[in-house]
Amino acid sequence: MDFLFEVVGDALSSLAGFGGELRRVIGLTLVVSLLATAMGVTIGVPLGAWIGLGRTRVRTAWLVAVNIGMGMPPVVAGLALLLLIWDTGPLGGLGLLFTPSAMVAAQTLLAIPIAAGVTAGAIKGLPSSASEQLAALSLSGWQRGRVVLVEVWPGVLAAVAAAFGRVSSEVGAVLVVGGNIVGETRVLTTAIVQETRQANFGDALALAIVLIVLAAIINGFLTWMQLRDTRRA
Amino acid sequence: MREKLDLRFPADGSVLSIQGLEIRPGDRLVVFGPNGSGKSTLLRLMAGTLSGGPALDSTYLPQHPYLFRGSAGFNMGLGLTTEEAVRARYLADRIGVGDLLEYEASSLSGGEAQRLTLARALAKRRPWVLLDEPLSAQDERDRFEIAALINSEIGDRGAVIITHDRQEAAFLGNRMAVLVGGRVLQEGPVGEVFSLPASDEVAAAVGIGNVIDGEAVDGEGPLTALRAGEMTIWGVGDVNRGQPARAVFGAEAVTLFRGREGAAGSARNRWVGTVTEFRDLGRLVEVVIDVGSRVVALVTPGSQEVLQLGPGAKVTLTVKATAVRVNLR
Repeated sequence: MDFLFEVVGDALSSLAGFGGELRRVIGLTLVVSLLATAMGVTIGVPLGAWIGLGRTRVRTAWLVAVNIGMGMPPVVAGLALLLLIWDTGPLGGLGLLFTPSAMVAAQTLLAIPIAAGVTAGAIKGLPSSASEQLAALSLSGWQRGRVVLVEVWPGVLAAVAAAFGRVSSEVGAVLVVGGNIVGETRVLTTAIVQETRQANFGDALALAIVLIVLAAIINGFLTWMQLRDTRRA
Repeated sequence: MREKLDLRFPADGSVLSIQGLEIRPGDRLVVFGPNGSGKSTLLRLMAGTLSGGPALDSTYLPQHPYLFRGSAGFNMGLGLTTEEAVRARYLADRIGVGDLLEYEASSLSGGEAQRLTLARALAKRRPWVLLDEPLSAQDERDRFEIAALINSEIGDRGAVIITHDRQEAAFLGNRMAVLVGGRVLQEGPVGEVFSLPASDEVAAAVGIGNVIDGEAVDGEGPLTALRAGEMTIWGVGDVNRGQPARAVFGAEAVTLFRGREGAAGSARNRWVGTVTEFRDLGRLVEVVIDVGSRVVALVTPGSQEVLQLGPGAKVTLTVKATAVRVNLR
């Protein structure tokens, strides 16, 4: 038990000495995660709506792809992107290797299928009378998408929360394409791995506490929006 | 513009198999049949919400209207042009939901939601109007008024209307197709299908009834009198004098007496006519009487003997006015 008390004590003192490096890590974590969530949702939610609104073969193929993507191990996605942006790879000229941009790109790839899958699931869960009515209205594709996304709005918020949860908790992809470079591409999850490997458990726990608090704040906000909306509907 | 429809669903026709069902502009075809007979499948194929059908250029009211999140007014405007939205607004007022448009759609009752979506469907200017049980969620007292509005809004467009209610069928359609087990068993003018069902199966599905068209000539309290040739029919309904009207009553509501006099009674309708035809339906006998218009009555084989109702026999018919429904045609 003494060991655990010691670690917690170290963690608290390390939090008390909240320094510039920690601030930078938190800032980069927020920027990368929120940007990736935003981009993943911007692409994934409309994709999910498109998949959810029809039953053609192309859409079914996309649904399968999205479901596979939802279970994609982050480190594999990171590796795939790494091969593309490696100096001598096909996109090597972009100079993305070991940059925050590469980390955002990797996490966006992870967020898209989650956002699309949760959205498509919410739409497919609508009663058959809703899809029949929607088809009966003969709206344009855009109008249909808008009506149905408003209809499943709590589901869209769940998609946002799931996408954020995915990107803020993953470590494999950002580690592979970002490289965990101090002051450049180190984020909370990679820093936790680093500190743990060096047996700096107090610092690792301090970072973990920060990560959990950030996740709680953002998910709390999304939950509040969901509840507010459910009350209104 | 006429369409002759051949529909099979699925491809083997196990749910629906229809050949040469004709629909035309200005025609209101009622598809009548029991639950599970394929009526909604037929309409969905016509509307194109189920693939494999003709997908007519149509406005379509599904059987279970669904309102999306947003105000009732937002829902009413969905898919409508500006002009159509103005029309929908007018119809919503006529149909009694005009003052609900500001409210959240989820606060509307099932009947109100149906009216709102009906107003939207009727306002949409498409050559074909497809309505799946448009009055199913409406109160008895409102149904006939809404039926009259539906008829006038359809105007010279072609319509296919689904119902399993006899009175609705009589007031909404001018032609009728009886659908049982995915097949059309009989098709023809509404009055003819009701009074001369082609088979026992049709008679069992639709019942036997009288549908008589004429003109409203008089009114008294809740009653309206309709004149059809030599015949005056009193029934429950509110139609202004001089307007085209239709009377509907069941064959079982008709009481027959031998001779020209008949027994005295409280029945408001009392006509004298000549028996022209018998049709044995098994347990009951359908008697067709010429009273100027054709009226059918149902009697048991026993009472037929008592009455000695041979063809050419003179009979007196009575029907209580409360058993007759009169509505705007």
